[in-house]
Amino acid sequence: MEKNGSIRAINERLARKIRREGKDPKSPYANRFVGIANGKVVVIADSLTELLRQLRKIEPDGSKCYGVDVAADYSRVEEV
Amino acid sequence: MPSAQWPLRNRRPTIEVMIPHGKRLRRRRLLADTGAGSNDSNFELVLSEADCQRFTDILLGQVQLGRAYSGWFNVYLIEVRIPRLDFAAAVPVVGVPQVPDGFDGIACFKFLNRFQYGNFGDADRFGLGS
Repeated sequence: MEKNGSIRAINERLARKIRREGKDPKSPYANRFVGIANGKVVVIADSLTELLRQLRKIEPDGSKCYGVDVAADYSRVEEV
Repeated sequence: MPSAQWPLRNRRPTIEVMIPHGKRLRRRRLLADTGAGSNDSNFELVLSEADCQRFTDILLGQVQLGRAYSGWFNVYLIEVRIPRLDFAAAVPVVGVPQVPDGFDGIACFKFLNRFQYGNFGDADRFGLGS
């Protein structure tokens, strides 16, 4: 559990880096969906469905995975 | 045009989605709320945090919610199906501690707007078309 917790922290740190880099239109991550497993980028996909399919194939333990919607803006407040 | 329609639940518009869980599909009844989120939201459905963790453990990030919910909540990547529409896609789902009474969650505007939606001429039902 603790090990997966540290993997999650590593994945989240990499996700933040990818979001920053993805703001550059020349970045390979720009406007795409990036899959991280065990602290490494393992998938760059064009849809969330493709991202999920590939991530599951590469790392069946989802707690070691993280998905990045590079275009998403998590800094704003969403009203529900 | 293929369509799926459901009776109103507690007099409120409802849709039903199926979510893979192991080898089975679990049904979830969602309040269809076009006022929840926007077409630009970072999530499409709201489910309980417990449900989200039951169906996936792949995180997409955290989102800050306002109005009915307040604070930061996890966003998960979950496969959702509506068999009658031949629809299956992975969508971003935000997990919250409590969902509206009588429902398993909320289908937000961004999800509903994937389809044609409305009562299709029957005031006692709500439906989606593709």
